Parts: sequence; C-alpha cells; structure tokens
Amino acid sequence: MPGWQVIYQQLKDKNFEILSVAQDTGGVKDAGKWITDAHPTYTVLIDEKHLVSKLYNMVNVPTGVWIDEKGRIVRPNEVAFADDRYKQFTGLDSAPYLNAIKDWAEKGEQSQFAMSEDKLREKMAVNDPNILVASAEFGLGEYLYKSGHATEAIPHFKEAQRLNPKSWNYKRQAYALGDAKRDYGTTFVEEVNKAGGSKVYYPPPDLPGENAQKDKKP
Amino acid sequence: MMRLRFPAGFLLFALIASAFATAKETRATVVYDDVSTDIASANEEADQIWITTTDLKQATRFEVKPQGVCRDVLCFPLPKARHNEFLRKEGAKSWFNLTAFAALVHQPVAHDAGTSAWYFGLRSDQRQGLSSLQAPDFTLPDINGKMHSLSDFRGKKVLLLTWASW
Repeated sequence: MPGWQVIYQQLKDKNFEILSVAQDTGGVKDAGKWITDAHPTYTVLIDEKHLVSKLYNMVNVPTGVWIDEKGRIVRPNEVAFADDRYKQFTGLDSAPYLNAIKDWAEKGEQSQFAMSEDKLREKMAVNDPNILVASAEFGLGEYLYKSGHATEAIPHFKEAQRLNPKSWNYKRQAYALGDAKRDYGTTFVEEVNKAGGSKVYYPPPDLPGENAQKDKKP
Repeated sequence: MMRLRFPAGFLLFALIASAFATAKETRATVVYDDVSTDIASANEEADQIWITTTDLKQATRFEVKPQGVCRDVLCFPLPKARHNEFLRKEGAKSWFNLTAFAALVHQPVAHDAGTSAWYFGLRSDQRQGLSSLQAPDFTLPDINGKMHSLSDFRGKKVLLLTWASW
C-alpha cells in the first residue's frame, strides 16, 4: 500500500486514479488495520463478498485492471505489485509494470501497453461454465460462514476450489477463515508447489518487449 | 359401462399438482444479489425451490408481470409453452420456481441442503460487461462506510487493484 501511494503521488495530476479494493470476507475487521496504518490518499474500498473478483473473474491478489476515461477495460487482470517486497517469493521485478502504468497515465490510449480489442477479448474469454458455478459455491460458503455455519461452509468452499482450481482467492480466503490442514488437508505452500511454483501462482504481466527478452537465450 | 374421460392436459396438471403436494414445505434462506432473506414457507423438491410471488418480490425485487419477470427496467419474458415450469397457483397462493428462473437467465445456483440455504449468483445481464469490454460497475463502502462506485471515476484513467489481508 505505501508503494501504491508513491505511484499515486507521481501520477494523480495526469487524470489518473487508483481504486484499491480489499477482498476480505472479514471486512474492516481484517482489512481495516492495513488501511489505517498506511492511510493512503487514493480510494480504498472494502469488499466482503469478493464482488470485484466475481465481476472481473479475478483469481488472485494483487490483481490490477486498467480502465480508461470511458469506463472501458484496456488491460485485464494481471499481477500488480507496487514494489519488490515479495520479489524473493514471486521472482517478479515490479519496475516494468510500473513503467507501463506511467506510460499509460502519460499517453492514454496511445500507450503501447493499452491492449487491442482482439487481444482483450482473447484474454478475457471465459469458456468454462464451471467457473460460474464455482462463484456461487464460494458465495454460499461465505454466507454460511458469516451466518454461524463455519463447518457447513467448508464443503462449499471445497466445491468452489474444485470447480475453479485456478482461483487462489477461493483457496486462501477459505484457509484464512479456518485451518488449511484440518479443513482442507493441505497448506498454501503445498498448493503453490503442486501447481508448479510461484511462476504459476503469479504469471508475469504480458508486457510488450518484456517476455520476449526473457525468453531470449544468451 | 360409463367411462370418465379427462383431457390429456388435465391429467398432466393432476400429475404435476400431486407431485407438488408431496414437496417438502420448509423454511429456507435465499441469498440473492448477496442479500439474504428468510423464507417462512418454501417448497423444496430435489434441486428446485419454489417460493411465493410475494416472497419473490421481497427476496429479489423481481415481480411477475404479464410481460415477464421484471425489476425496474429489466424484464425477462417467460417462454409461454413452459409457463408451468415457472408458475403455479395453489389456492390463494402463487408459487414461483426460482431455480427454473435462474436457469432461464443463466444464473448459477448453489444449495446447502442441511441449512436450506440457496445462493443465486450473477445473472447473464450482470455479466455482459466483460464481453462488451466495458468495465463492470460496482458500489462498495470505504473504511468509514461511505459508498463509492467505479462509475464515479468516469472521465479519468483508473487503476483498479485488488488486495487482501490474508
């Protein structure tokens, strides 16, 4: 959060806003401390029902989406770090993504990082109907948990995880509400390793030039 | 010998009516648009839930009108030939099959049998944003409870970020 405050200070005069949304079933109780500690001047919202993840088909945090002046998406879901504090785990360098944001704030739709409609459609296509059912199972799990049925919530969280195995949000939020080992027979680290490590957990942003460079053999 | 003849339609109606009579009348909870409503008297049959049209309005704000099932400017016409799948009259009560309606509007449903809780997810009209590349709008509170919408920021470039404490 302090990292994003720095970016916001640099770009807020360029018709640029940050809207940061906490995906926390526990709401202010869990997310509040982070906000009061960092007291950012950009807008931070509390999303107990994970509505934004549901609407945008997000599967992890932090996720960034670029939205232009007309309310249209110009870059869809991708990992969004403001600094390198988790670099040891993620292996991600935040600089290319932050430079891309600055370029977009400056040039708008002329920025090379604003995606074409075709590419957006390709990236945003949801072909698996299970993903939709998974979101309902997760929503039911959240409702049951909050209405005093934590045990009854578990099979629905499990079903959401089974139907949308790519969603880390479904796993991590459920683990945080109970005990991963006891309730789900696993841990976060085990799941990341099973999936193929941190590169799968946080696929690097698809930035022009970036991946081509990395793939190039010396 | 006297034979009683009933039109086929009547027999079908009688069959449906008797099946309905054996359905379990129960308390249930409907979570719709992430708002939960207790339903004092619902009819649950396997993976279907019927609620009265009065409860329908209370739980979903949808109402059955001649042109379809409507809320504000939104209206979903019911297929005429399949009317019985959605609506039944029983004495003074009108029953509405909320699960059949969910299937009609491509809305996912999750059900917990033990607690009789039914969760209804995003309808197709709430998901159209993504195919049009328009960013789906939402309204959520900040830490002080003040509400903000994505659309409040129209005219500006917005970096939408999600994060979590966990």
